[in-house]
Amino acid sequence: MRQQRRVRNPGAEAEQFRRRALIGFVGVVLAMAGLAGWYFKLQVIDHGDYVRRSEANRIKPRPVVPGRGLIYDRQGRILADNVPAYRLEVTPEEAGDLDRLLDGLGQIFVLDPAEVERFRAERRVNRGFRALTLKLRVSDDEAARFAVDRWRFPGVEVVPYLNRRYPYGALFAHVIGYVGRTDEDDVGRYGGNQVLYPHTGRTGLERSYEEALRGAIGYEQVETNVEGRALATLGRVPATAGADLRLSIDLDLQQAMVDAFGDMQGSAVAVDPSTGQVLGMVSLPSFDPNLFVNGISHTDYRQLMDDPARPLFNRNVLGGGPPGSTIKPFVALAGVDSGLRTPTDGVFSTGEFFIPGQRRGYRDASRGAGWTELRDSISRSVNYYYYKLAYDMGIERFADYMHRYGFGQPTGIDLVGENTGVVPSLAYKASRSREPWYAGETVIAGIGQGYWIATALQLARGTAAIANGGELHPLRLVAERKTAYDQPWSPVAGEPAPRISDNAAHIRAVQEGMEATIHGRGTATRMAQGASYRMAGKTGTAQRIGRRGAANLDPRTLPYHLRHQALFVGYAPAEHPTIALAVVVEHGGYGGATAAPIARRIFDAWVLRQGTDAIGAPAIAVGPTGVEGTAP
Amino acid sequence: MNIILRWLLDLLQRFTRTLDWPLLAALVALMGIGLAVLYSAGGHSQAMLTAQALRYGVGLGALWLLSRVPLVALRGITPLGYALSLLPLVAVLFMGTGRHGQHWINLGVFYLQPSELMKLSLPMMTAWYLNRAPLPPRFTGVLAGLAIVGLPTGLIMLQPDLGTAVLVAASGLFVLYLAGMSWWWFAAALGALAAAAPVAWFWLLMPYQKDRLLMFLDPEQDPLGAGWNIIQSKIAIGAGGLRGMGWGQGSQSHLNYVPEHTTDFIFAVLAEEFGWLGVMVTLSLYLFVVARCLWIAAQARDGFGRLVAGALGLSLFVYVLVNGGMISGLLPVVGVPMPLLSYGGTAAVSLLAGLGVVMSVRAHGGARRA
Repeated sequence: MRQQRRVRNPGAEAEQFRRRALIGFVGVVLAMAGLAGWYFKLQVIDHGDYVRRSEANRIKPRPVVPGRGLIYDRQGRILADNVPAYRLEVTPEEAGDLDRLLDGLGQIFVLDPAEVERFRAERRVNRGFRALTLKLRVSDDEAARFAVDRWRFPGVEVVPYLNRRYPYGALFAHVIGYVGRTDEDDVGRYGGNQVLYPHTGRTGLERSYEEALRGAIGYEQVETNVEGRALATLGRVPATAGADLRLSIDLDLQQAMVDAFGDMQGSAVAVDPSTGQVLGMVSLPSFDPNLFVNGISHTDYRQLMDDPARPLFNRNVLGGGPPGSTIKPFVALAGVDSGLRTPTDGVFSTGEFFIPGQRRGYRDASRGAGWTELRDSISRSVNYYYYKLAYDMGIERFADYMHRYGFGQPTGIDLVGENTGVVPSLAYKASRSREPWYAGETVIAGIGQGYWIATALQLARGTAAIANGGELHPLRLVAERKTAYDQPWSPVAGEPAPRISDNAAHIRAVQEGMEATIHGRGTATRMAQGASYRMAGKTGTAQRIGRRGAANLDPRTLPYHLRHQALFVGYAPAEHPTIALAVVVEHGGYGGATAAPIARRIFDAWVLRQGTDAIGAPAIAVGPTGVEGTAP
Repeated sequence: MNIILRWLLDLLQRFTRTLDWPLLAALVALMGIGLAVLYSAGGHSQAMLTAQALRYGVGLGALWLLSRVPLVALRGITPLGYALSLLPLVAVLFMGTGRHGQHWINLGVFYLQPSELMKLSLPMMTAWYLNRAPLPPRFTGVLAGLAIVGLPTGLIMLQPDLGTAVLVAASGLFVLYLAGMSWWWFAAALGALAAAAPVAWFWLLMPYQKDRLLMFLDPEQDPLGAGWNIIQSKIAIGAGGLRGMGWGQGSQSHLNYVPEHTTDFIFAVLAEEFGWLGVMVTLSLYLFVVARCLWIAAQARDGFGRLVAGALGLSLFVYVLVNGGMISGLLPVVGVPMPLLSYGGTAAVSLLAGLGVVMSVRAHGGARRA
């Protein structure tokens, strides 16, 4: 009611409004100017700083993992390649609650409990922002289902990668080996970058050439959004592709070697005598290396581990045993080179050798061969000759010569962890036992028994040296390599080959003895039946695990796993050898009976087919671009 | 032929004579900028663009309709409108949805944000009440006016939506200011605010609101958490430079570094892509709209219309200032959209409706005296 008593003054009200509105507008203009000024500071004065921060925000380096190098046989056939596949990656920091995530992903993907456990373990030791692989080899079906539900899983991605594949499976398992999923040990071994490679070589060439095969990581400058998802590529430091390897191994020969063994266990190494390049190398039984590429299942692994035939055991590289009589050509060569014998010097074999002053005799399987000189001693495998020769030579000189022939030392093969074997010597025995050296140990060393451990690789290498007239070439699996498609193959430099003997006549005598083994009155004459070319060789029989006194045991009463191994070393064709060979048949009984026939089949496969393929022969096209190799 | 054309022109004139063309032109320009930036910020989403254009259409329709309603009629329905706007504000407390509180009511067809209605009905109600008595208002008048402002403000704070509450309150307070309320009141209010700050801090503010305020003081202390938005938004603005990175070239926003880059933070996209010059053009348009509203108000002889038009103009400015300030780290982050630029329905429609009222003031405010 009081209000009505007041009198309205429209003019004054309007005037007051105008005043207030003007003040208000001035305030507005000042505030706007302030805002404009603030933006001027941000956008013009501090512009450079913010541009830098913006760039840092959006541009992130992303590693580019090159494809693993391919592995070819000597004719350019692919033995290990890469196939596109998908893996499931989780970045824990972005993924949130791990249990819920795994539950959710379990409804889309088939998750192996072992894989999940492995992922959890990795999760514990890794910082959260690094993507961890939860599952390799995501199926197309899984990938498709995930694409639909992807929004539900931040920090989870299905990422393409190249999966290693071994098209010939077990055939090359012990040569090429296999890769496995990269783990913390690999990071320790090869450095932190290794984690970016999905696979790391575990065994075989994959292991020994890991650093060449994997190539070098490149980087892409990738524009990423706030979730880290790549949107565009702005620049790149190219990755260096893994080197392709060309092996000297011949696929056909390798297959023939496996076929030659049939059901038998053992190992064999074939070498090109003129270069030391390995033409074939088998260890039987074998296994499928593809099982290991993405992490082997527990069941599969148990099965391989529990197999008494030990398929995972690389007999060539890790194995080894007494060489038995296959050592005789080398002992004979040592005899003539040391001046203790001439090739025509003979001994009268009575069938039993006695060390002077001892009553214990060392028996000879040939039960008294009579007058025996070098060639016969090899072809007929006369123990008496070697008992006496070793005894005359003495263990130190003996060991010295055997080392010279490559025994007791690595063959240079490009594989990791080669067993160097053992040549009987004073030093070796002193390192293992406090007992003195007995003369009898020298005697049995002469026939490849006792402390001897020789590998098939060493036997093959030594045999190749005899075959080629005395050059002891280091063994090699990889003949050539190239680092890019547009690069030529470049030969892997061969190491100098020491000579095992300066006297060609001595080597010739040994060669003649080895030829006579097959084509004369020797222990492997059956092997020569129907052959259109001449071979040379030496059979052998040895205790698998025998260490001492092995010669006294009767092989036929031994349990199967301890039974003799049958050995054969040799080369062919005898006149111009293109292949030198060592064959070890486990539990095979006598060398002439089992190992020699296998060797014959292998020789046939090589010599009769062509046998003279040089690497880089013009007819061979290699690689997708068909670049010809260059002859070494 | 000529006759038909003239008839059509007459018809057009009859139906558009209530529109204030300079104001409309500025609004259309802003909406054009809004759509252009949205096209870029929304990742070229046709759907977003269409939806937003549709809202502009609805808003322009409301603007046109309201501009044709005589001011007397608007004044007549003001108390009812105020009461009707209060209802959903209460309702939203019980049946609302929202991320940090209950801001929206699901009406099936669209989400209604009741506080938006208040942005228009509150200044109208305050003006309606104050204008019943001679101005400047007396003590009791001011108290009653404050009550009119305080009731919906309190309800909005309960949602809680601090930013909108502040803005809604501001629109009513502008009416009081323009009506001639004594400066002493403002001094007293400032003092009360200072005194109330600790109270608010400990009892009224939600934790996330405190976070926002703390972040405002030092965004770098939690660059990946609460400070992230401000930092990234500032980077976007700063990276824009004088001329900007170009339309559709803003990396910060397109790579999702700037959060809510189609809604509250869309001005950062504009700043990144069109630079300081683009910002200046846009701000100038806003300034023009504010100036035009104030000019219309000053020209009006109707006291109610005068107060409403003036208050709406000043409110619009506050929105621009608060949004432009918060996304650039000048003011704390309170969820305030940039008028006519931010993607979203109710805000654009209510804003355009308010400017329809302003146009009504221009069209009818001179004809009647109060």
